[in-house]
Amino acid sequence: MKTLAVVVTTPPYSHLTTSALTYVEAALVAGINVIGVFFYQDAAMHANKDISIASDEYQAIDHWQRLHKEYQLPLHICITAAEKRGIVCDSMGDVQVNKAFTVSGLGELVELTSKAARLVQF
Amino acid sequence: MTSSNIKEISDLSPDSGLAIINSKAPFSSNNGKDALDVALIFGSFEQKVSLFFQGDGVYQLIANQDGSLVSIKDYLKTFSAFEFYDIDDIYVCQQSLVNRQLDENFHINDVQVLPSSEFASALNCHKHVLRF
Repeated sequence: MKTLAVVVTTPPYSHLTTSALTYVEAALVAGINVIGVFFYQDAAMHANKDISIASDEYQAIDHWQRLHKEYQLPLHICITAAEKRGIVCDSMGDVQVNKAFTVSGLGELVELTSKAARLVQF
Repeated sequence: MTSSNIKEISDLSPDSGLAIINSKAPFSSNNGKDALDVALIFGSFEQKVSLFFQGDGVYQLIANQDGSLVSIKDYLKTFSAFEFYDIDDIYVCQQSLVNRQLDENFHINDVQVLPSSEFASALNCHKHVLRF
């Protein structure tokens, strides 16, 4: 079984994120086992439920949620990156973290890297 | 290129863990600090990790810098802890130093300066690559 892990570093309003989404969806459609997507640096902003992007622009967060729902794709955010960007990640902060995302640490990146045959960064 | 470098690189197996490429200047963005955090976590989980400095990333290794002068936490100091995390493979792109007229005056020891082709070979020995 081919296993793939993906690291995303670009924010939800960046057009670069569309490349990551297109790539991950193509992999899932091709039957590749995407064991997780790790959101680091500015990509942690994807998990902020309060982000609102103009409706005529690309809705990266909606697409990640869709892939999570359709393929049970694990979406991990780095807690340090998230908190530094104003996303409250403690137990009280569940109101701000998008339910499709799991609050993780860099240890999760170690885990994904050790399990995946390929690691691709965007 | 010294003979010890040749030996060192051929010692790396084709599956030599994670390579982190540092390509940004130390105080122009958070990339250097974010890359350092990743390196230290992999080290503390006893995963093999090598560091590559290339392009403006070579500035991260130059001695006598002080981020606190521009109110930035001086994360470069933490580089001296690499040995405690078993991060021993640190490679610098020689051409990047030459292009920037920088001397090989680094703030940590045991850094290997490699010509482009050897730098590429060393990188090629790694299973995974992250670039910051």
